[in-house]
Parts: sequence; structure tokens; C-alpha cells
Amino acid sequence: MSSNNYWKGLEELDQTQEFVSSNANEFSEGLPLEQVFSNEDSSRANRRDFLKYFGFGLGAVTLAACNKTPIKKAIPYVEKPDHVTPGVPLYYASSSISDYVGHPILVKVREGRPIKFEPNSDAKFFGCGLDGLAHSAILSLYDTTRIKGPIKQGKRKPIKWSEADKYIIDNLDKVAAKNKSIAIVTRNNTSLLLNQSITKFKAKYPNTSVIPYEAITSSGILRANEKSFGKAVIPTYHFDKAKLIVSFGADFLGTWLNAGKARSDYAQNRKPDGDMSRHYQFESLMTLSGANSDVRLPMRSNQTGLHLLKLYNILTKGSDSEGLELPGNHINKIAKELKDSRGKSVVLCGSNNIHDQIITNAINLELGNYDDIIDLENHYNGNSIDEKVFLEFVEDAKQEKYGAVIFVDSNPQYSFADFDNILNKIEFKVSNSIIDDETSRMCDIIAPNTHPLESWDIKQPYKGKYVFSQPTISPVFDGRNTSTSFAKWADENIDTKNKFSYDYEALKTLVSNEIGRDFNKLIEKGFFEKEALTASTPSFLANVNDSINNVKSRKKTSKELVLYQKLGVKDGSFANNPWAHEMPDPVTKVTWDNYLTVSKPDADELKLVDNNVALIEVKGQQIELPVIVQPGQVKGSFGIALGYGRKYAESVKNDMQNLGTNVYPLVGYANNTNSYVIDDEIKIISTGREYELARTQTHNSIEGRDIVREASLEEYRKDPKLRKVNKHHNLVTLWQEYDYSKGHHWAKVIDLNTCNGCSACVVSCSIENNVPIVGRDEVRRRREMHWLRIDRYYSFEALEDKDLKMSIVHGGDRSIKKGDQLSKEKVMETYSKEVGNFDYYQYVSTVHQPMMCQHCDNAPCETVCPVLATTHSSEGLNQMTYNRCIGTKYCANNCPYKVRRFNWFRYNENEKFDYHFSNDLGKMVINPDVTVRSRGVMEKCSMCVQKIQAAKLVAKREGRKLKTDEFTVACAQTCSSDSIVFGDLNDPNSKVSKLYKKYRAYHVIEELGTKPSIKYLTKIRNKKQTTNHS
Amino acid sequence: MNVPKTQIVLTTLFVLTSTFSHSNNNMSSFYSESTFLALIILSIVLIAISVLLYGIKRHLTVLNNEKNKQVAEPSLYERKFRPIIEAWNPTIATLIIAGAVMLFLGAFGYKFGMEEVGVQQGYAPTQPINFSHKIHAGQYEMDCKYCHSTVEKSKSASIPSLNTCMNCHKYVKAAEKYNGKTSPEIQKIYNAIGFDGDNMEYIEGYDQKPIEWIRIHNLPDLAYFNHSQHVVVGKVECQTCHGPIEEMEKVYQYSNLQMGWCIDCHRERGIDSENNDYYEEAHKNMLAEGKDYITVAENGGLECSKCHY
Repeated sequence: MSSNNYWKGLEELDQTQEFVSSNANEFSEGLPLEQVFSNEDSSRANRRDFLKYFGFGLGAVTLAACNKTPIKKAIPYVEKPDHVTPGVPLYYASSSISDYVGHPILVKVREGRPIKFEPNSDAKFFGCGLDGLAHSAILSLYDTTRIKGPIKQGKRKPIKWSEADKYIIDNLDKVAAKNKSIAIVTRNNTSLLLNQSITKFKAKYPNTSVIPYEAITSSGILRANEKSFGKAVIPTYHFDKAKLIVSFGADFLGTWLNAGKARSDYAQNRKPDGDMSRHYQFESLMTLSGANSDVRLPMRSNQTGLHLLKLYNILTKGSDSEGLELPGNHINKIAKELKDSRGKSVVLCGSNNIHDQIITNAINLELGNYDDIIDLENHYNGNSIDEKVFLEFVEDAKQEKYGAVIFVDSNPQYSFADFDNILNKIEFKVSNSIIDDETSRMCDIIAPNTHPLESWDIKQPYKGKYVFSQPTISPVFDGRNTSTSFAKWADENIDTKNKFSYDYEALKTLVSNEIGRDFNKLIEKGFFEKEALTASTPSFLANVNDSINNVKSRKKTSKELVLYQKLGVKDGSFANNPWAHEMPDPVTKVTWDNYLTVSKPDADELKLVDNNVALIEVKGQQIELPVIVQPGQVKGSFGIALGYGRKYAESVKNDMQNLGTNVYPLVGYANNTNSYVIDDEIKIISTGREYELARTQTHNSIEGRDIVREASLEEYRKDPKLRKVNKHHNLVTLWQEYDYSKGHHWAKVIDLNTCNGCSACVVSCSIENNVPIVGRDEVRRRREMHWLRIDRYYSFEALEDKDLKMSIVHGGDRSIKKGDQLSKEKVMETYSKEVGNFDYYQYVSTVHQPMMCQHCDNAPCETVCPVLATTHSSEGLNQMTYNRCIGTKYCANNCPYKVRRFNWFRYNENEKFDYHFSNDLGKMVINPDVTVRSRGVMEKCSMCVQKIQAAKLVAKREGRKLKTDEFTVACAQTCSSDSIVFGDLNDPNSKVSKLYKKYRAYHVIEELGTKPSIKYLTKIRNKKQTTNHS
Repeated sequence: MNVPKTQIVLTTLFVLTSTFSHSNNNMSSFYSESTFLALIILSIVLIAISVLLYGIKRHLTVLNNEKNKQVAEPSLYERKFRPIIEAWNPTIATLIIAGAVMLFLGAFGYKFGMEEVGVQQGYAPTQPINFSHKIHAGQYEMDCKYCHSTVEKSKSASIPSLNTCMNCHKYVKAAEKYNGKTSPEIQKIYNAIGFDGDNMEYIEGYDQKPIEWIRIHNLPDLAYFNHSQHVVVGKVECQTCHGPIEEMEKVYQYSNLQMGWCIDCHRERGIDSENNDYYEEAHKNMLAEGKDYITVAENGGLECSKCHY
């Protein structure tokens, strides 16, 4: 339905005055010419002043240019390690840092410095690809706020490890002598190495208890599974086997449970040429899963239980005898479909309420979805923390039962309300934090851990699946792995002079006991999978009626506050990371801040618009946050992202110090589990102030061009050529044709159908290509530097769907015909006639489109460059030569895709941009094969030409042809859903040349005759049950 | 006015002496130190002050003469040059003089910019160890790749690490030249790696320090150069770019390393398309077109992002 009207945001839809005027201008800010030339104000510069400044400037520049040429040194190794070749990267298998429970990755190391993470493509089970946070986490190694060595608090005096050990052991002995307990507060720990050391520690101090703590828990699922099946575990979901996915508020593609695996598995089943799955998403906020669903239906989060109950009743009793009043008849229809695809479907529930989850379990059991799709036996070890244990610890600590506490990677001071009062009741506090975080600042001593990239480890993210870590850099600072520390504290005689040796030996024994294979081979591979356990369908032990009664007895409130996680920041434990913050949120496209998302009707009622600061009053707490009016959000639901408002060391001076607001104190507690949906009294008022959020979304407009194309599966099956959507143009060209059929012709195909907008490619590209971080203020000025952006378009396309419309309108006439331009006016006209005051904003559908340099064969940018700084290569690449560029920006103006970025500052030497680029430690992450651009030049996607050249060189040296799909580019490599495919068009066997010929493939704004090297595949939504089912 | 004059003279002397003493310094670079720059700035300031003082003095003299009604004798300038200048058309004269100056400066600036700025041809800094390529590569005919071992694998040829030196110099001490003592240059290797030459053993727990060689060939960061590409694929001899290295007692930069120099070679040299399967297709096309060889340029070797990315 290419006739859809797509829009990027509400201001474009409403064509607000501001939008129209700002859109008329090419640049966000006008040039201050009038000011300069006006004579009214004599204090402004005049001609004489100009000459003065000009003269002075010339003199100053001349003087500055008289810098002596620096003497460069070339320092070789004293003894070169055999395996290191300077200039050639080494890859080590290791485990992801941001994924605390373990995820196999490869670490690219140049001359002993890890510079990039890449997915371990052999580890298919764990999910292909890496997300944006996983990529950006490499910066945590080069963080200037890292603790340099053991620190005794008070005067914050750095001490030696021997002193630290003595101090800690003395104090622990004292505590043990007093018969008080010792607590070890860990995270969701899956490290066997650490567990082993803790066991040793416990042998010496028997009065020790391990308290697992996570800021965000999924204990509702754990407990429900315990009650239902007697197993308190998080199941492994196999989305690749599910033909029908019905999610009630579970953002499984975003942040719910193990989203990395979900994204990868889900995409395998979204190929329209095969058996494409269908995905219904009920939700309140607009999430990534909702944006990607086939049918997205509005549901307030506090009504999750009611929806599930209705579905359960229809499935078990044939009809909804309880008489629950929910709008529309979607659930009847979905129930029928679920029955049709028995054993091949999955019903998910995002609520952390045990009763909601028990009903979900009952539904899935009724549908026969265990154990093929929901696997309880080979369960996931992440999200497996029950906050009960921690709350008991808090109670005991209040009664001063604990004499000492050791924090292992955990940071409850940040995420647990009033934790300092509890800490004050414990005499001796130790932290192993590697950065100066909230909890470690309250501790008596910091015995810093080594960074995960500096240590050995074995983790078990799934039952029977192991992931190994190995040191990829010699320790940057004087840390010591916590497992060694615990062993040392348990047994002082352990030799820790070499900080690796204990862990290495312990790991070797552990591996031989646990797995019993060749150690070196396992480490090289990075992971190990034991044979999966088979299990029969579990028997149901819980009493569903209790849960049903609980759902029915809930009070009905009309407003709710939903606390959610953003994809770039998640729970906030790795929030000290500028890359993650500059990655625009896939839905709102906001960088750097958290905010209150408000539905359009609520915003109208509360008189709030984007960037207004709202005052939120919940549970007696007041919070002020800027507002985003979010299309698709349900009336009555308000959303705020967790994970913001971290407080760092004072040395952090940039935007990191001032990152949103911490809303963890608002997390509720109901039915013995944390509750992230708050439906107490919520008061929201406008403060009348403004705070400009740094949002990339409305930078540039699409001006109604045919950029995104989508169709329904029904249409696609009927006409695979999609003639209605894919209009091809026969164009006359003024350019001299060049024959690209010789040699290579590099190209990409991007499948809009599987791209879920997760933005991992954005971060991966930035790291590979040394793209600078510009900070909040520069993003506001539209100066973000990302070479690859993901455009997000909304449309009312969903409202065209007949079934949906029928269910909304209850039998109204079908005045919307197929192919009608579904403009806002049309929708308003039709629906207001049929249902009166109808909130059509809830029914937007979303398309994500990665957009980067299209490497046009007839590139408009190339013809306008006055200095030939951008030219075309014989391999079809649009080349950008920075040292030739004089910064006229003509090319950016002439680029129809708006993918060129002007470099405004010397981000690598500028103190104002105090991110990793401008300090010596952070510079270690720079890719030495790619130029660090200076100010005043244009830059853009180079199609990772450094990777192309490197792969070609290897082939040439070996005297062979390039193998088909031998290498790939940074964005394609990290994509968990394989949406971006890169390759040689002149190789008939390559994936890209096959996809290029697909009927779905189209060039964006083909009618301009630019002949891009990048094709997109039309998005196909599987909206309707196909005839052979019904 | 006597005191400032003395001061000026003294300062000038000081500056001059310091300049000369500076240039006598055995510096590892042929460039100046920052103190030298500071002294120059200081002397410029002092000269400016003295000019100013001279001007004030002259004005005072003129005023004094006016007051005392003394008619000053016309100066040399007023007698000889002024009449000639006054005869000129001021506009044309200014344009001619300014034009000539601009042309001269421009030509000088262009030549300087093209040939001098950042070009270090002939750069031969004194290295921390007086390593002689003449002895190693010339006299003993050692293969370049023995020390520069990564030249076929990596973008950098790499300077050998100390353990490579020690492969030979554990035994080779050139003691015959130094009355039975280890050569002082070889001793520098021992001092860095921690080797006791007399007892022929490594010192345990020695604080090893790498040799900080001075980099001679400095390509700008914006240019990507890969040794293995040229040595293995292009089969270029080391001496083609590095000059008669086997004759160099002290290594100097032989080529100018400017882009024009790269391009010239890329335009002329052919690629070995016959013996490399990578070029199979290109080789067939070449034969079809009846050519003897394909130059690097014809194979895309002049395209910007072959070297700049």
C-alpha cells in the first residue's frame, strides 16, 4: 500500500506552524548575516573591526602554523609475542559485557588493544548479532572514571593490594568474631568461577549468605512457573518455531528477558516467501515489538490480566462467560487462530504479576506450546533473580544482623530506594566496582575487579550452555578479578602476584570437571553447548481460579504509569557510556534523556506538547520530566524509562553527569513482586517550562516521497511482483553510462520486513568508522554524526485493515476503500462519522528504515563538488576524500537521501566534547585503519571500504579470487535479523545478487535516476489469516 | 637613553649567543626547541620597543627644533628619494609594488607549500643506536625480511623487537674493535633488554625498556599504505622506495613520499595479473584487448578510496 501517507512525527502530521517554517529551511539555524551587517547597533563589528580581526587572525594563524614538526617515535616490542603482527587484528572469543549472564562474542584486538566487538557467528543458539549496548560496552574498558586500584575510603587513599587484603580479612574476622553475618550482594551471577570462590569463602566464613540483586526483576514469571510446574525458572522461548505470536505487553524484541535471542529467532520466521509467522501485540506504550507487529492493538498495561482472562475463558469454555467488557472483538478472533495453530504458537505476558503469568502458563499449556516452543528444561539463567531474598536481607540489615557486606558488580544504592539507611547499619562494606559508582562511594574499601575483558571466566547463560571469557588486554589498571579476591580472602596463602594465574588454574580444573574437553579448543571457540535435555509436557500444579479471582478483584483505575527500559540504556548498569546514549531510541528517536511519554488525547487534555516539562506526582513523590507525545500510545497510559539519573564521579563533566531522572524510587511492590505498572493516584500537570529533548526524528522531512513501501502478505501472495506498490520508472539519463560489470560492484540489500529498528547497526558503524559522539546540544542543532540512521515512519495504514476496522466500528459501513489515501483528514472524517470521538492515534503502524549513503551510480553529490572531493570508484563506491574536502556542503544539499554529515568540530581534541574521543585512554578504542576526521569536512558511509580493501588484499596475497560472501560490513555483520546483506553484485552466487533480483527489491526515490547501489525489500505484514486456515 | 641602548645590545648578544650555542647542540632533530622560540619573540618585542623609543626621541627632537626655531637640514631621503617618488602616479606605483610583492610572496609560498611543508625528504635523524644498514644489509647481505619480518603480512614492515637483535648479538659483540670490550652500541641493546654480556646471561627481574627509535618515514594519517600489498602483490623491491638502503650508514628518507610520487608509480607500473588468480578476469580482459600489461592505475589504483578512508 504505497498510497499510505507516512509521517515522521505528530508535528509533521498536524503540519504545525513551527514544523512548516522549520522545514522550509535547509538548515536548522539561519546564518546571522543580518546581525553582522546591520548598522543600527554600533557596538557590533564594523568594517574596521573586521579588518582588525582579520589582520590579527592572519597573524595568529601564521604564528600557530610555525609549530615545529613533531618528532615521531617508533617503539618496537622488547620481546614480540609470536602471534602478534603489528597492523593485523587478532580475534579472541569472549563473552559480552553488557549481557551480564554471558553471550558469546568475538573481540577484535589491534596491537593488544580491544577495539571492537563482533558477533560470534558460530553461536547460533545464543542468537546472531549484538545489540547497540553490547557494542558500546567496549568503552567501559577505556573509561576514565575507572578505579585505578584498591582504595580505602575516607580520604580515598590508594593502597596496595596486600594492605587491602589485610584490612578486609581483619575486618571480616572481627565481624565473624561478633557472630554477625556477612552478605555478598551479587548480580544475576552465572559465573561458575565466581561461585567456586564464594564457596571457598563460605568455608572460612560459614555465616555468609549470597544475596542476588538486580535492579529490574522478572520474578512474576519465576514464581508463576514454580507454582504452575514446580520449576522456578525463566523458560527459553523458541520464536523461530512459533507461527503465531500473541504478546500482551511483552516487549520481547526490545528489552523483555533475552531479547537478543528473540530478535534473531523471530526474524528467521518473518520471510514472506516461506511460512511467515503472524504477530499480534497488545500494549500500552509504543514498544519495538509493537512497532514490528503485524497487528498492534491498544491495551492499558493494568488490563493485561483482564485480556488474558478473556482469552483463557474463550479458549477453555468456548466463550467469555465472565462478561468482561473489553472493546472490540480481537480476542475472539485471536483465540480462534490460536486454536488453529495449536502447538505452534506462543502467548507472552509482559506483566510482572504472578497471577497474570499463571493464566498465561495455563493458556500456553492449553495450546500445547510446551516444550517445543516454551522450553522449561533447557532454561535461561538470566532474569532469574527473586527480589524476595534481597528484601529479607534489607529487613535483617535493618535489625543489624549483618556485620559486613561485599558488593559484587551490584549497585543497589542507585536503584533501591533509601538504601543508604540500610548501608549505615552495616559496619564494614566492601565493593568490587570497577567504576566510581553510587554504592562503591558508600563503602569502606573498594577492591576493584578487573574488567571482564581483562579476566578469565566461565558463565552459564542457559542450562548446559557455557560461555568463556579470556583476557584480551593486559590490565589497564591495578584491578584483581573478584574470584581471585574471594579465594585470597578465604585463604591468605594463595599467590596473587600474577593476577591471572589463580583464575587460569581454577578455570582449567573447573572446565575439565564440568565439560571435560580440550581446554584450549574450548577457549578458542568461546562457548560450549551440552546436548539439550528433552522433556515431556509439564503437568499443571497451580490453581488458576485463585489467579482469576485476583484479576477480577483488581481495582479499575483509568490512569497508569508504566516504567519501561530503553534499548540503549536498559537497567542503567552500563549507563556510563556516551555511545549508548547517543544511539537514538528506536521509537521516539530521542537521545541522551529520559522523558514522559504521553498519548495524544492525554496530551491534548493536559495541554502538553513535546518538550514541555511536566510535573508527575506519584505516591507522594514529585518528578519533573520533559514530555514526548507518542503516537500509538494508549489513552491513560504514561511511560517513563528506568536506568537514568546515575550519579558519577565529579570528574565527569560532560552530558554524562546530567542524564535524565532516576525513577527507580517509583517502582511499586505488589503480590510480593516488583511492579513496573503503577496505577495509584497519578497527577500530571504542566509546569509551563520547556526542556528541549535532543531528538533526531524530525531532522529532514520526506516530503511525501515514495520512500518506504509496504504490502500485506495477502497481496504479496496474490501478486509477488507487487505491481501496485513497486512502481518502476524508465528514465533517460544525462550521465555517461559506466560499465560496472567488470571487477567488483559492491552493494547492499536491506530487508524492511525483518529490520526491527533495534539500532545495533548504528553503534556498530560508529565504532568501526570512528564516528564521533557529539553530545546532547549538538544533536539539538541537528549535527549528529551517525553515518547510518534508522528512519522511523508512522502511518494510519493499520486503520485500513478491514477486520480491525470492523472490530473498532462494530459493523459500520466500509467507506474506506482499498488504496484510499489515508490522510489524517480522511481517517478523522470516516471514523468520526462511524464511532464519534475516536482515538485513531492509537492505531498507527510503524516502519523502520535504515538509511545510509546509497552509493548511487549517478550520484548527485559528485556532480556538485567544486573540488572533486567526492568521486566514484570503478567498484561502485561513492568515495569521500576528506583531505580534499573544503566543506562547501554542496554535496549534502544535493543529496536526496540526506545521508552526508558535516564535521563541525575537532571532536578528538576538543575539551567541550569530553567523551572518549578527547582523552588518551578513550582514544585507544579508535580504529587505526580509518582516518579520524578533522573539522570542516563532509563525511558519510564509505561502505566500510577499509574492510573491502583488507579482504581484497588477503585474497591477492594468497593469489586467489575473493570467495563469495567472504566478508561483510559492520552494519550487516551485527544485524541479528540478517536484514542488511552486503556483497558483490558481479558475483552471481552472492546473497546480495540473488536478493537484488527479488520482486520486492526497490531503490529509494528511484525516479530521480540516481541508480543507488542499495536496494530495499518491501515490508510485508501478515495481517490476515490466509484462506487455507479459515 | 644610554641605559636602554645597553640593554638592547646585551639582549641581542644574549639572543645571538644562545642561538649559536643552540645550533651547536647535538639535537636529535633539526628543528628548534621552544625556549629558542620564546627568545625570538622576546627579541622581537625588545626591537619593537627600541623602534618606538627611537620614534619618540625623533619627535622630541623635532619638537625641540621647532621650539628653538632651528631649521633642520633635509635628510638624505628628502633630498634624493622623495622627488622621484613624488613624480610617480601613486595609484599605479602602489599597484605595481604591491603586485610585485604579492607575486614574489605567492610564488615563494606556493613552492614552499608544495615542496617543503610536511615533506621530509632527506630526513636523517640521529637514532638512539647508531645502527648501520651498510654493515647489516650491505656488508653481511642480510635479508631485509629477517628483521622487518612483518613486511609480507602487514601494513607496517615493523621495526624488529630486541629479541630479534639478540638472536645474533648475544654472541656478536664487535669486541675486536673495542679492545675486547662489547661495542658501546651493542651494549645499548644489552642495557635495554637486561643482558649481562660478560657472563652471557639475562638478568632476572630486569626492568626492560624498549628502544625508542625515531620514525623517519611519516605518512600523514589520512593516507593508508600497506607494505604487504606492495611487496607481496606488487613485487616491489624495498630499494625502489627506500633507496640504496644497503649503502646507508645512517638511514635517510630517500623518496619525498608525496602523493604525486605515489601516483607516478601507479601510472607506470604493471600488475602481475598473469600469476595471481585474483586478477584472472582482469587478465582475460587484458588479453582480449590485446594489451601487454595492465597498469595499477587501469586497475583502479588512482581511485581516492584505495588509499584514503
